[in-house]
Amino acid sequence: MADHAAADGDHGHDHHPTGWRRWVYSTNHKDIGTMYMVLSMFAALVGGSMSMLIRLELMNPGIQYFADFQFYNVLVTGHGFIMVFFVVMPALIGGFGNWFVPLMIGAPDMAFPRMNNVSFWLVAAAFVMLMVSAFTQGGPGTGWTVYPPLSNATYHPGAAVDIGILSLHLAGVSSILGAINFIVTIFNMRAPGLTVHRMPLFCWSILVTSFLLLLAIPVLAGGLTMLLTDRNFGTTFFEASGGGDPVLWQHLFWFFGHPEVYIIIIPAFGIISQVVSTFARKPIFGYLGMAYAMVFIGFVGFVVWAHHMYTAGLDADTRAYFVAATLVIAVPTGIKIFSWLATMWGGSIDFHAPMMFACGFIFLFVVGGVTGVALANSGLDLAWHDTYFVVAHFHYVMAIAAVFGMFAGFYYWIGKMSGRMYPSVLAKIHFWAFFVGVNLVFFPQHFLGIAGMPRRIPDYPDAYAGWNYVSSVGTFITSASALLFFFIVWRTLTAGSKAEDNPWGEGAKTLEWSVPSPAPFHTHEDLPDLTGKQPAE
Amino acid sequence: MANTRRKNRIVAALLFTVAGGMVGMAFAAVPLYQWFCQITGFAGTTNVARAPAAAVRPSTKTITVRFDANVDRDLPWRFQPEQSEITVHASEPTLAFYKAANGSDRAITGTATFNVSPHKAGVYFSKIDCFCFTEQRLAAGEEAEMTVQFFVDPGIFEDPNTKELTAITLSYTFFRVPGSDGKNAVQSAAPRPRRPIKG
Repeated sequence: MADHAAADGDHGHDHHPTGWRRWVYSTNHKDIGTMYMVLSMFAALVGGSMSMLIRLELMNPGIQYFADFQFYNVLVTGHGFIMVFFVVMPALIGGFGNWFVPLMIGAPDMAFPRMNNVSFWLVAAAFVMLMVSAFTQGGPGTGWTVYPPLSNATYHPGAAVDIGILSLHLAGVSSILGAINFIVTIFNMRAPGLTVHRMPLFCWSILVTSFLLLLAIPVLAGGLTMLLTDRNFGTTFFEASGGGDPVLWQHLFWFFGHPEVYIIIIPAFGIISQVVSTFARKPIFGYLGMAYAMVFIGFVGFVVWAHHMYTAGLDADTRAYFVAATLVIAVPTGIKIFSWLATMWGGSIDFHAPMMFACGFIFLFVVGGVTGVALANSGLDLAWHDTYFVVAHFHYVMAIAAVFGMFAGFYYWIGKMSGRMYPSVLAKIHFWAFFVGVNLVFFPQHFLGIAGMPRRIPDYPDAYAGWNYVSSVGTFITSASALLFFFIVWRTLTAGSKAEDNPWGEGAKTLEWSVPSPAPFHTHEDLPDLTGKQPAE
Repeated sequence: MANTRRKNRIVAALLFTVAGGMVGMAFAAVPLYQWFCQITGFAGTTNVARAPAAAVRPSTKTITVRFDANVDRDLPWRFQPEQSEITVHASEPTLAFYKAANGSDRAITGTATFNVSPHKAGVYFSKIDCFCFTEQRLAAGEEAEMTVQFFVDPGIFEDPNTKELTAITLSYTFFRVPGSDGKNAVQSAAPRPRRPIKG
């Protein structure tokens, strides 16, 4: 290995594995990143179809399609798990993280390339297991939060929840291994001269996310194991009859669950920073503030979990603490929003598709974020808990904002990944169609929630019919835009114009733009020397 | 290169330990929450105590203690307190009685959980002896009397949060112990006809 590398620079080995072995046995961060993105797109079709079915049923009052309410609940559960664990996380962390963290820090690959592969195939297996559980003995109709007693053996006899627990354990191990891989890579394998305080903000975002994964997922694993033994081995962690408490599950789940939502959004923050600075042709305003805002959000995100439990019977003083702590998170988040705006201020902006999605992200994340601030107040939450107001809130920040981040990343980086550029007119149409579609789906849900419509129901009183109809129409537009996106992907890969090494001009300063497009199988085999250079950001 | 590999392995080992530690923390949550509730009396958790020091004379202030009894739907027992309330002085050890009767045709083992209401009174309610969490096996038709010995800490009258209280309610709920009567699994959720309890 050491013999060839020195002479050939960035286009070192021409030989690399081919055929199915190249993928199944991959130890290449780019190939693994690609596999994650393919998985994410496939899972998006499955999870998106589930949401279509849900909204089809909710379009009109009365039951039209899903008289089997257990199956309806399974759709709700599957939709949630798939979108969180098999669409957003694989795309942002497994996909863009694997592709671009080594490229941006000047590393030839991840610290543990084979473990990287294990992480990917674990997620693939977990996805299969989740689908199996949906068709096993009634399926898990618990919601993604899997609360006992509904999820215990009394109310979900059969193996569906157990297989679902297995799926989550696999996905969890995958994430923990991936997190360790990213942390070690970022700490130990930066090119000479690249201090942590000069690395791109996307790398910071993956670093913070990895620490959140490392600390949060094991707690989910513990809780899941307790649920498994309660269901099958006679323990009573969550059963009052044995001295346990169902609220313990809620504490354990949300101790994981709240950091999980930051795990979902923080990589998107990183992508937005890269895109905004590129297209405003200015370095990000307040780099240190941006980096440490993410650290702070991650940190405080660990001590606010019970704002998901305001109606579980907590003490008033307990609730007061969680209200205050939750409101605190709005501060570093606001710093980030203002910093992105300050970056654009005085910049020379090109509204290419990535920038359109980035601007959309900033606006729509604020919309979703402010409803989160409202929900942080336990008094208001007593009225809004488990209503469509909550559904609207989290879909704005996850289904809209995080997905806008994914699309921004796709359009920004597809030239580097595939060597071909996307069709720009179609991309803009995709942006507008998706923007209109998702806002039409989720904005009216705020009204439904405030008016008292509960979540996770297949039918509702006639009074809620109007906005439900509007919301469902929005899903047709969103689906059409999703089909357009898949067409754009196909068109890009088959007939896209050749991408230059740097299609974005002077604003694109990070290291990935200094390697050819498409990026060769091996890059940075000779470590670049970044001592004394400007911060890459 | 080898140095990087070595450093990578060290950091990775450290991180694996952190992840393992967090799994441990999840399981530790069970006793930790228990300990926290015990120390602070959160959510109506009562204290366990031996009898108060003999030098402390019962004070003149009184408070009423009410007694509540419940059975889980899986347990065909009749369970009730033998007194609906007792007015006690602070620090005065008091004995209260519950009676349970197995109205079914087979022997069943039950255990009881308990709580105190309002929750803020929990930390001042000290149980010296009770029948909670010990398994009680009753043969078909058998009755048993169970005692609770407790005292109320005089701090309840000093604490600005609790000094306005005039009554505390002690509540017990009896559950069937699965497997004790030949039925291993927890009952399924299907609705069952209710049977009146004789006697």
